[in-house]
Amino acid sequence: MKTKFLRILSSFLLMFAFGFSVQAQSISGTVTDENGVPLPGATVLVQGTQNGVSTDFDGNYSINASSGDTLVFSFVGYTTSSVVAGSSATVNVSLEPDNALEEVVVTALGVKRNIKAVGYSITQVDGSELSANKTSNAINALQGKVAGVMVTGSGMGAKGSSRVVIRGSSSLTGDNQPLYVIDGITINNSNLGSAGMWGGADYGDGISSINPDEIESVTVLKGGAAAALYGSRASNGVIIINTKTGAGTEGVGVEFNSTTQFDMVNLSLRDTQEIYGQGRDYSKVADNIDNYQAWGPKMDGSMITQWDGVSRKYSLQPSALEAYYRTGETYTNTVAVSTSSENSNTRFSMTNMANTDIVPNSSLNRNSIGINNSNKYGDKITVDINMKYIIEAQEGNPQMSDAPGNGNFSANLFAPSINVMDMMGEGGLGRNADLTEFRISDSSYSQNPWFAAYNFINSSDKERFIAAINARWDITDFLYVRGRIGGDRYTVSKQNSTPWGTAYQMKGSMSESEDTYRQYDADMFIGTDNLTLADGVSLTAFAGIGTNNQKYEAYRVSGSDFIVPFLLNVGNTKNQGHGYSIWEKQINSAYGSAELGFMDYAFLTVTARNDWFSTLSQKGKVAPNNDLYTSASLSLVLSDALDLGETISFLKLRGGVSQVAGGANNPYALSLSYGIYGQGHLGASLGNISGGTIPNSEITPFEKNETEFGIDLRLFDNRLSIDATMYDNETLGDIVGVSASATSGYGSALANLGNISNKGIELLIKGTLIQTEDFAWNASINYTNNTSKVVATNDAAGNISMAEPRSRNIRVTHIVGEKYGALYGSSFVRDASGSIVHEMVNGIPIPKVGGRKILGFGVAPTQLGIGTSFRYKDFNGSLLFEGKSGGQVYSGTNAYLKRNGHHKITVPAGGREAGFVPTGVMADGSSITTSIPVAQQEDYWRRSYLIAEQDVVDADYMRLRSLSIGYNIPSDKLEGTFISKASISLIGRNLFFLSNSVDNLDPESAYNAGNSAGLEYFALPVPRTIGLNINLKF
Amino acid sequence: MKKILLTFFALSLVLSSCEFDKGFEEMNVNPSKASQLDVANKFASVVLQTSGGRYENWRASLIYQSVMIQHFSAVAGYWSGDKYYRNDGYATSLWDRYYPSAVKEIEDIKAQLTSEGNTGSEMGMTRILRVFIYSRLTDLHGDIPYSEAGQGYINGILKPKYDAQKDIYMDFLKELEEAVAQIGGSTTLGVSDLVFQGDTAKWKAWGNSMMLRLAMRLSKVDAATAQAWAEKAAPGTMTSNAHIAMIKHTDGPGGINKNGHGEVFDADGNPRMSKTFVDWLKDDPRLPILAARRSDKSTAIADLIGMPNGSTGVTVPDTSIYAEPNRNVITGRAVPMVLQTYAEVRFMKAEMAQRGWSVTGSAQAHYDAGVKAAMQMLSGLYPNAAAVSDDEVATYLAAKPYDASKGLQMIGEQYWAATLLNEYEAFSNWRRTGFPVLTPVNDPGNVTGGTIPRRLIYPTGEGSTNKENYDAAIARQGANNFTTRVWWDK
Repeated sequence: MKTKFLRILSSFLLMFAFGFSVQAQSISGTVTDENGVPLPGATVLVQGTQNGVSTDFDGNYSINASSGDTLVFSFVGYTTSSVVAGSSATVNVSLEPDNALEEVVVTALGVKRNIKAVGYSITQVDGSELSANKTSNAINALQGKVAGVMVTGSGMGAKGSSRVVIRGSSSLTGDNQPLYVIDGITINNSNLGSAGMWGGADYGDGISSINPDEIESVTVLKGGAAAALYGSRASNGVIIINTKTGAGTEGVGVEFNSTTQFDMVNLSLRDTQEIYGQGRDYSKVADNIDNYQAWGPKMDGSMITQWDGVSRKYSLQPSALEAYYRTGETYTNTVAVSTSSENSNTRFSMTNMANTDIVPNSSLNRNSIGINNSNKYGDKITVDINMKYIIEAQEGNPQMSDAPGNGNFSANLFAPSINVMDMMGEGGLGRNADLTEFRISDSSYSQNPWFAAYNFINSSDKERFIAAINARWDITDFLYVRGRIGGDRYTVSKQNSTPWGTAYQMKGSMSESEDTYRQYDADMFIGTDNLTLADGVSLTAFAGIGTNNQKYEAYRVSGSDFIVPFLLNVGNTKNQGHGYSIWEKQINSAYGSAELGFMDYAFLTVTARNDWFSTLSQKGKVAPNNDLYTSASLSLVLSDALDLGETISFLKLRGGVSQVAGGANNPYALSLSYGIYGQGHLGASLGNISGGTIPNSEITPFEKNETEFGIDLRLFDNRLSIDATMYDNETLGDIVGVSASATSGYGSALANLGNISNKGIELLIKGTLIQTEDFAWNASINYTNNTSKVVATNDAAGNISMAEPRSRNIRVTHIVGEKYGALYGSSFVRDASGSIVHEMVNGIPIPKVGGRKILGFGVAPTQLGIGTSFRYKDFNGSLLFEGKSGGQVYSGTNAYLKRNGHHKITVPAGGREAGFVPTGVMADGSSITTSIPVAQQEDYWRRSYLIAEQDVVDADYMRLRSLSIGYNIPSDKLEGTFISKASISLIGRNLFFLSNSVDNLDPESAYNAGNSAGLEYFALPVPRTIGLNINLKF
Repeated sequence: MKKILLTFFALSLVLSSCEFDKGFEEMNVNPSKASQLDVANKFASVVLQTSGGRYENWRASLIYQSVMIQHFSAVAGYWSGDKYYRNDGYATSLWDRYYPSAVKEIEDIKAQLTSEGNTGSEMGMTRILRVFIYSRLTDLHGDIPYSEAGQGYINGILKPKYDAQKDIYMDFLKELEEAVAQIGGSTTLGVSDLVFQGDTAKWKAWGNSMMLRLAMRLSKVDAATAQAWAEKAAPGTMTSNAHIAMIKHTDGPGGINKNGHGEVFDADGNPRMSKTFVDWLKDDPRLPILAARRSDKSTAIADLIGMPNGSTGVTVPDTSIYAEPNRNVITGRAVPMVLQTYAEVRFMKAEMAQRGWSVTGSAQAHYDAGVKAAMQMLSGLYPNAAAVSDDEVATYLAAKPYDASKGLQMIGEQYWAATLLNEYEAFSNWRRTGFPVLTPVNDPGNVTGGTIPRRLIYPTGEGSTNKENYDAAIARQGANNFTTRVWWDK
């Protein structure tokens, strides 16, 4: 492997060696733009020779040339200019901007390139666009904005996790989320806790703690060709976020930004029956066992003794969801101070975000401090320092999924004749006078929602520090060295408690944990910018080494059976336990990139990178622990190469092939290990095998190969642009946990056997419809279609089982030959013509429970975003419609709503009393003639609940994702005040659906952001948000 | 120019002298885990896994079996066994928990002892415990992965085949015979032996008692084999309540230390004593020990009424008037989990004698001794249980003397009463003997056609993770439902 790398390195060296031949006389001068601003990095070339230099930071150059030589001055985005050298030793040149494109994008490792030279798809979203589309969780602002990027937020809003997948999932079981690079440094995006089948709470992810107000721009590197230089961690694409700097500030600038947002549960989605009240088998039962059952007779207003022994009217009560959820409020206030001078600029910002969630007692408070500083030392050295310090407190994170402690579970299920406000108990906390749970169900495993909200504890305190130093030293006018070092370090302290007095755990329990995570990256590379090799041939190249080290350490103490009720101290529990875990992993790398430009219209970029993985290293291991991978991309600007006429302002064809390798995500997976657990028993110590995965000592890196082609066409003076990309990628040797039968003793076995492919298209059409001085109107459409295919899982082509919901009749499963993430669950038995086969049970026809089969796919293949924005004088506005289609969801909530008689489908036309004749046939093929009497309809739904197929539905929707209307107060009105700029805007998110194919719910409801998209089970509703933003500059 | 080239060559030299993976092998060794452990540490763990956690003791043991077998009854809908509902997760809970814990660990210990060349007591004890673990699984589900189970790491078997129950039973009996033979003298396990604290004689007695239990299990399907093995086992079985195979628990510090049933009773107020059971316990000194009225904890005989199985909120508006498992005595978190009792052994011997098989002692002698052991073991198992005196036993036996004409029924009923809170055994023995004669409930939501289940279902997930073997087992045994009978129940 080492020799391979050296071969590549030496080829770089040869390229450098080409470029130079030394001449005698010296000419110097300054290259500036049309306004006299120096242009650093402009190319000066003696025509017809390979003699060329670049200008320094102040636009100065010095070149050896003879009088009479023609000097050619060129710079990206500017018209090339030629000057014949005379006797003067000084030649100053001012370059005119090129009418063609001068769009500069940030590419891998922070290298800025003209879009012309980029041979792959790259999308940059300006901070201004994001702030018009304000979200309390920064990354959710990308929803529906970028072709090829699918963002799914959570109902938890500001503090929830998001799922971001670029160009389809490339790993069957591993992390599919992109790498985040903030101000040049990779950050950790681990999930800090999420709900699973058995419940749990979401504690947000790494990106959710980034301050949305401070984002300057977001760049998405979608494919391998774009991202390869970031190495293995970029196999799912890269999202580069740059925060605001002080550059361009005149003197000292002060900015104040304030956003107020209100979140409201979208009750218009809920449409359940409101005719039949609490009861079973069409008789009124009002005990607490059956509070969730809406199988009683019609609500008639008669008095009935309810669950708590109180006599109330048997009549329709206010919506439990409306009563239980409140309006969430988020206040975000930022103060920023920036300054800039000739050699330095600085921005300091402070933000407070105070949020109360829609769930009672749930809140978030975050304080962020950011300092960005850039300094020039002399002519040749620039040092950028970026620091972020974030303190965050989350409280009352709601439990989701399974019933225990999940207020959303019970609030969804109360029979319509029950009023959730009757359940508030002492002090509204859902308790009895003796502080135990005021029980609303005889099933100890579902809680009084008020008790769940006010007494269960899921809170966390997080302290995070992200810092980076980037330094650049221009050794000569064509050679530079860049070094960077940075780290992301955070500590999360969590406190959880099942309170004293909880029905299922009367004495309660608690745990406290402290997780410390840190990673650092260090990189050093040497390179050259726009070196002219020959007439019309330029080289931009660099080569370097890097390392990424991650370390995690966690302490946990827990206890059950409180001695003094509600005294939250593990020492105050009878049974105490503790835990400790630690891991460390590292990737070392060597890499290089070279871009060859021909005549400024054709660019070929090749990259190579070798990664070594600690997670794949073990003594005695035969298989390699490292991998070399390469990429090549070509950009051809036809509009520069040929005369295409006036209509076409820009036309670029691009294409690339790439390879990215990745190692095992988890350390210590190569060998079996044992641990001592618990505190022993009666003098004996307890030890067993750690982990439920069968290790494999010969795991090797996986590779992801991708081919992409694209076209970038801009017409009518750039007023209409079309950017289209086709890609085709395949992950080979994906490290998967091959599913094992639980009877093997293990859940899975590690192997390099996965193979998954994605093919897709990305389309972005933008148009400036109207552009006058007072009025501008833009519109854009982005479209994504990704088709995934599970090519291989293991040697026996077995299924890979992912998560299942608590109902356990369906499971997200990767099946060979199918799309990613099949929803594989129990089905209807159907006859040859597809009719549902029924059997007679206790005299009524009930669907037979069939075997498991593919019922749908949890990941939507298609996304459409339609946005428009306008500006009229000082007013501006934007709208974004966003939709997904082609995916399905298993709705556990709807499954329950049917089972318990809430769903409208349980009320046949003519009412339950009229009887219900199921659609389908009997086992002998005869048609169903039996009408199920009203008292037995419950049995029908109770039994058909077992069939997951009836609850797998299309998750198609089109919604108004965001809306904003803004007003910039004209500067003449501000004259004489201390305010220099002021703007105000109204914002709205998730306001309404144009279409929604899921009953009662937002199709994006999910209880976690993991790889098991397509499962919904009593997750939080996605709220509607409206807000107001005020921005003042002083 | 030369300078530049030199710089680059120097750089490449530096690079080529770098070892890019220096220290990686050391870094990838988990600093907080061991690469192997002494068997003693593992043995204590696997014993506790066998006792089980709250999860499977709640679901498989109590929610299904205890109410199916009418020891208990419950109104709450999720007590699926009371009305023969289907709840996949509950029905498969023993399977879901045993295979990844007790099975995996016992196979790991067996492999380690084999590689260490151990052919003595430790191996014998391991083999007995191993048979016990699998016997619970096969009795509950029928054909199960056995010969290839738990060997995902040891032999790389990801999809174990399902062995026919007949083959499993033949191997059980052979294993027990060999295991008993290799146990002797002392053991290095000592304090890690949470069943008998290193008493190898008791292990031998338990090995034989298990052999007797599993032999009797075959009486319906293959009486000759049952008789041969029972006669082989009987002489070496337990001889007193001091031989009871049980796992002592403590109330913490962790969940693993506690009695799983005790944790359930802590959290779940639903179970009541079944009317069937309370009625049967009439005039039995055990009744006030085992039961107490829910509302006021009264143990006065007149206050102890059993709740009928199959009750619902409509038929039973107030469940607190009924008796529940006595929370002062049998529901604790620190009470032992019983695997097999001396009383059971005497009842099996009574049955042998009743069937005319060769065994020392008469059916009545064994029956009387069994009743006495069953009544008097309670104060040994449960610290708060009042001791049942010899006089009380005699009075009971005088009132209900052994009647050979109803011998098998009387034995079966006593066995049922003696296996309260060993619901696995109670359910198996009822299926084999048909005693006590239970009247099934017929709730509209039942999935058994109104009959008491004959087995619990396989996890249907096996149909995707282990399809071929799962399909083969179903083809051999019958549909994966609650009414298909296991081999020895045919």
